Amino acid sequence: MELKNQKQDKFFIVEVSGRMDAISAPEFEKSCLEWIQQGESTLLVDLAGLEYMSSAGLRSILVVGKKLKSVGGSLSFSSLAPTVAHVFSISNFASMFPVHESLEKALGNS
Amino acid sequence: MKSRGLAFKLILFTLSGTTAVFLCAFIYIYLSSRNSMMRYVEENARNLTHSTAYQIEKLLTGVEKVVLNYGAILSTTQYEAENIAPLTEQIVSTNPEIYGAAIAFEPNRIVETACYFSPYSYRMDEKHLVNIMLGDSSYHYFTMDWYQIPKELNRPAWTEPYYDDGGGNMVMATFAVPFYKDHNGARRFQGVVTADIALHGLQQIVSAIRLYDSGFAFLISKNGVFITHPDKNLIMTDSIFSIAEEKQSSLLRWIGKDMISGGEGLVPLESGLLAGSKCWLYYAPLSSIGWSLGIVIPEHDLLGSVNRLGRMVFLIAVSGVLLMIVFVMLIARRITKPLKDLSATTMEIARGNLDARLPDVQGGDEISTLASSFEDMRLALKDYIKNLTETTAAKERIESELKIARNIQMSFLPKAFPPLPGKDRFAISARIEPARQIGGDLYDYSLIGEDRLFFAVGDVSDKGIPAALFMAVTKTLLKGIAETGMEPSEILRRCNLELYGENDSMMFVTVFCGILDMRTGMLTYSNAGHEHPIIIRQGGQPESLPVPDGFFLGVMEDASYENMEIKLEPGDKIIIYTDGVTEAMNSAGALYSHANLMATARSCSSLSTEEIAEKILDSVTQFSSGIPQADDITVLALSFTGAKY
Repeated sequence: MELKNQKQDKFFIVEVSGRMDAISAPEFEKSCLEWIQQGESTLLVDLAGLEYMSSAGLRSILVVGKKLKSVGGSLSFSSLAPTVAHVFSISNFASMFPVHESLEKALGNS
Repeated sequence: MKSRGLAFKLILFTLSGTTAVFLCAFIYIYLSSRNSMMRYVEENARNLTHSTAYQIEKLLTGVEKVVLNYGAILSTTQYEAENIAPLTEQIVSTNPEIYGAAIAFEPNRIVETACYFSPYSYRMDEKHLVNIMLGDSSYHYFTMDWYQIPKELNRPAWTEPYYDDGGGNMVMATFAVPFYKDHNGARRFQGVVTADIALHGLQQIVSAIRLYDSGFAFLISKNGVFITHPDKNLIMTDSIFSIAEEKQSSLLRWIGKDMISGGEGLVPLESGLLAGSKCWLYYAPLSSIGWSLGIVIPEHDLLGSVNRLGRMVFLIAVSGVLLMIVFVMLIARRITKPLKDLSATTMEIARGNLDARLPDVQGGDEISTLASSFEDMRLALKDYIKNLTETTAAKERIESELKIARNIQMSFLPKAFPPLPGKDRFAISARIEPARQIGGDLYDYSLIGEDRLFFAVGDVSDKGIPAALFMAVTKTLLKGIAETGMEPSEILRRCNLELYGENDSMMFVTVFCGILDMRTGMLTYSNAGHEHPIIIRQGGQPESLPVPDGFFLGVMEDASYENMEIKLEPGDKIIIYTDGVTEAMNSAGALYSHANLMATARSCSSLSTEEIAEKILDSVTQFSSGIPQADDITVLALSFTGAKY
C-alpha cells in the first residue's frame, strides 16, 4: 500500500494505492489519525489506485470516520475500482460515507 | 600451530627486511673497500716500482759515468801500452758496484805486433782482484757484443745480459764506451772501455722487494728475457714472450711488447700466467738500459684484508640476525601466549560454556583490548541467551495457549448436527479454516423448536486473538438471541446493539443469518454487510441470493435490518461463505474471485452438503497453494430435503 497526500482548498486529499488489508490498514489508520490530530477535518480519500480492500481496511475507515465525526469533520471517497465498489456496496459503506465517481467530481460537488 | 605461525611470519618478515639491508650494506662496504684498496695498492705498486727502478738506474748510471769518464780520457790523452793495464784495476777497485772492467784495443793498434790487447780486471772474491789479458786464438773478443755494438753504433751501449765464460764466468751485463784517436787528421776507432755488472747484485735488489704475502718483482731485458725472477730457472733462459707462447696468451704478449717499448701500467692477469693465482701486474721501464721492471701482486693477497673485513661484517650481520630471531621469538611468544589462552577459552565458549572466564590480559595493548572485548562479548552473549531462553519460553507458552484457544474455539462451533427429530428434512455442513491458529470467522446452526432451523455465518473484521474474542461474543449473542424465537432482522438488530457498546476499536462483524421453516421450506433471512450467499435450485444453475441492505454489526448504534423471504423446494441448496474464499490469492497475485466460486458451485448440484463444503475448500486451497493463507475461510452448505415428508 502506498499513501500520498495533498491539500486542495479545504480538502485534505489522501491517495491510496495497492492493497489495503490486515497488514497495511493499520498504517492508513495511523497516518489519517495523525493528520486529524494536526487539524485536518475534511478528508477525501481517493481510491483510484486501490486494488483490494479487506474487512480490516473497512475497519480502519470506520475508525477514521468515527474520529472525524467526533471532531465535526467529514470523510468522503472517490474513484472506486469495481472490486472495492462491490465491497462498499455489500458492506453498506456507500450509505454511510459520500462516494464520488471521480476526484474532480468530488471537489466540484462541494 | 597458530602461535608458531605468527612467530614464523614475524621472523620471516623482519628477517627478510634486515637481511636485505645487511646484504646491501655488506655489498657496499665490500665494493667500496675493495675499490679503495685497489687504489691504494696501485699507488703503492707504482711507488715501489719507481723507487726500485730509480735505485737500479742510479746504480747503472753510476757505472755508466765511470766508464764514460775513462772513454773520454782515452779519446783525448796520449798513452802508452804499459799505462793501460793499471787503469782497469783502478776502475774495479774504486767502484764496488763494478764487477769487472776491460779496455780492449783494435788489433795491432797499440802494440804493432800484438793482435790482441785487452787488459781485464775482475773481482775474484771480496778482497782480491785478478788482472788478466783477454784475447787469444780461442777468444776473439772483437766478435763479442760488448765490442761490436759500440764499435758499429759509434756510441756507448749496454749489452744484453750474457754468460761470460771468457772473463768473469758468470751472468753479467756490460756497458761499453768506444774511444777514438786522431790519425792523419781523422778520428779513428781505437777500442772500447767496458764495465761489467754482475746480475746477482741486481737480483738482490729486486728480490728484496716484498709485497704482501706472495708478491714479487722481476726484471726483463730489451728482448724480454728474464734478468731477475724468484724462479731462478727462468733467468736467462725464458722470456716473457716464450711464456706468452707457452700459455697461448695474447694479453701477456701485448704486455711484453709494451714493457720492452718503455710502457708503464697496471693490468690484471689470469691465474697461471705469471703467478699461480689471479694477480695484478705493475710495470715501469728502466729507460737508460732499456729494461723493464714488473711487480706481481696476487689478488688474494690484495683482497685479503678486504675479505677479512667482509668476513667480519658478515659475522656481525649473522650474529645480528640470530639475535633478532631470538628477540622476535620472545616478542611473538609474548603476543601469542595470551592469544592461545584466549583461543582456548573462546573455544570453550563456542561449545556453550558461557561461564568460562576469559584470561585477564595485562598491558593495555591490542591483545588486552581484544581480551576485554571478548569478555564483553561473552557477557552480552550470556544475557542474550538468557533473554532468548525467556522469550522462547514465553513464545512457547503463548503458542500452547493459542493451541488450547483454538481447541476451545473449534469446540464451540457445531461439528455435526445432534440426532434430533427433523434432521432428515435438511442437511447442513460447514468447514472453517482460520488463517492463524485462531480466527474471526464463525458459523452456527441450531434448531429452534421442532420445525425451525437457525443458521448463521459471520466474519469479524480482523484476524487473530482480538477477532477470536469478538467472534466468541458474536456467536454467543446470536445463538442466545435466536433461541428467543425472534426473526433474523431482530436478531441482528439486537446483536448490533449489544456489540456496539464501548466498541472503540471499531471492530465489526458481518453476519448472514436465516431461519428455515422445515414444514414449508420458507427461508426468512437477513444480512449485516455479509457476502451474498449462493443458491442452487434443484436442477438449476448457481445464482447469487439477493439480500437486504444492512450495516455490519458493532459500529453503528441505530443500524436497522430487514428480512427477505424465499421458498425453498426440495433439493435446493444454499452456500454461504466468507470473503476468505473469494479473496484468496494465488502466487501470481490474482484473487480466487466470485466467478471462480460460481464455476466451482456449478459442479456441486448433485453433491452432499459435506462434499460441497469440502470441494470448495479444496478448490481454494489448491488455487492459493504455496501462498500463506491471508484470511480465515468458512463455507457453510445447506440442503433442503423436505420432500421426504
